[in-house]
Amino acid sequence: MLRTTDLNAYYGQFHVLHDVSVHIKEKEVVVVLGPNGHGKSTLLKSICGLVDRVEGSILYKGQNITGRPAEKLVNEGVIYIAENRELFPEMSVLENLKLGAYSKNARSHEKKNMAKVLDLFPRLEERKKQMASTLSGGEARMLAIARGLMSHADFLCIDEPSLGLQPNLRVEVFNIIKEINKQGKSILLVEQNIPQIAELADRIYMLEEGQITFEGTAREALENDHLKEIFLGM
Amino acid sequence: MLIEYVDVFISGMTNGSVYALMAVGLTLVYGVSKAFNFAYGSFFSLGGYLAWILLALVGIWGGYISVFLVALPLLMVFGYVTEKLIVAPLRKRSDWEIKVMMLTLGLALFMDNLFQVVFGSRMKSLPPIVDGVLEVGDLVVSYQDVVIFILSISGILAFRWFLNNTRIGMAVRAVAQNPEGARIVGIPKDRIFAATFGISTVMVGLGGVLLAQKYFVSPSGGWDILVKSWVITAFGGMGSIRGGLYAAFILGMLEAFVGYWFGMTWVLFALFGVLLATLAVRPQGLLGKWG
Repeated sequence: MLRTTDLNAYYGQFHVLHDVSVHIKEKEVVVVLGPNGHGKSTLLKSICGLVDRVEGSILYKGQNITGRPAEKLVNEGVIYIAENRELFPEMSVLENLKLGAYSKNARSHEKKNMAKVLDLFPRLEERKKQMASTLSGGEARMLAIARGLMSHADFLCIDEPSLGLQPNLRVEVFNIIKEINKQGKSILLVEQNIPQIAELADRIYMLEEGQITFEGTAREALENDHLKEIFLGM
Repeated sequence: MLIEYVDVFISGMTNGSVYALMAVGLTLVYGVSKAFNFAYGSFFSLGGYLAWILLALVGIWGGYISVFLVALPLLMVFGYVTEKLIVAPLRKRSDWEIKVMMLTLGLALFMDNLFQVVFGSRMKSLPPIVDGVLEVGDLVVSYQDVVIFILSISGILAFRWFLNNTRIGMAVRAVAQNPEGARIVGIPKDRIFAATFGISTVMVGLGGVLLAQKYFVSPSGGWDILVKSWVITAFGGMGSIRGGLYAAFILGMLEAFVGYWFGMTWVLFALFGVLLATLAVRPQGLLGKWG
């Protein structure tokens, strides 16, 4: 569904990604692991058209989308769901969701997706009229995911959805991601929580210092000594 | 004595309402795109001159209604194109905010001189939008003031409705609150910037049409408006539309009463005095936020 080949990304003079080649098949959940500050978010942002300088190629459904800006990519079905949420703080939950369906492609599906999303996130239904800035951390994270789903995208890049959440909320978020995947979305996920990833991920990439250092299934990852050392301290 | 105060009060309300309309436009552009428009005053004059061309030169059928129908769309297009040609190309550069200030300042000087060449330096006056006065006992209120007040407030309310109830209005608020988030959901930021610039041009241009009936249109008459709009925007809190509204009426009143008690020469002095005092206590303005 999506394939990057020798992807390089830069922030100004800073060279973040070095020849990164990853691929995600249709309806897969692929997880990117790696230490903080080694380019995981940059990889997602590069794919979603949020990094200004990107070299190499990104193919999506056979189309070359390298360097296409985010506001256009949303319409093609690729969306970024941010770790810092990027919500509209002084708007209601409902308005945030409506704006999630801003792109042309999403507009015609707005009603249907709204019903789906509110069904998936009953908590947001309860807080429909509340300002986004008054939500708790967990609720805001839910809203970010829900807003992403409103875009009617098939390919979701979700950046650390469980970051800073309590364990029970983490489980909730992972269950929702699993459910979204079941409904047919392909997902590229950045995560740190190994136990949950193991049952969620079809495949795993390890990104260190801007380079892919491991690729394999979740089981292979758990048996890999290098990964164990980094994440489990074993 | 009391009647005179009521007169002054009405004058303050009328001017305040037009200032509010114009300050909202300026705040809008700053709030959404962080651009300072120093040609704002010249856009005010442009509105006045457009009305003068249509009424005095062309003698347009239908009077002011036609003026609004013709001039306001033209102002929208003018603002949109100006943003695309002058402001947008700078946005990718470093220190673009300063460069926008310099360039719009240049545009203001250019426009003012162009007005002088085309229209001459003599002031133009416009006929009142409606004639006649309303007499309530000793109190005399001109219909013109009433109509100016109603039109300004309607302009603000229409804008508010637009922001809250239309798709583009929501997109404008989204860009103001979180530009990156707006990109993520697919809002074309650049088009929103240009559209808000266009809308703000309509607001100040409408202000120009409305105030030109009470005062005059002159090539350099916009500077006073630029200064007042900035004072109101800073006083109300940069980027806060509600703050700008309060500030506009407070300063409109202040202007009317200072003018009445001490003479018009003292008006700007008083405005800046109040601004300085306010900023000394609340550097972010009445309702502004930091950052």
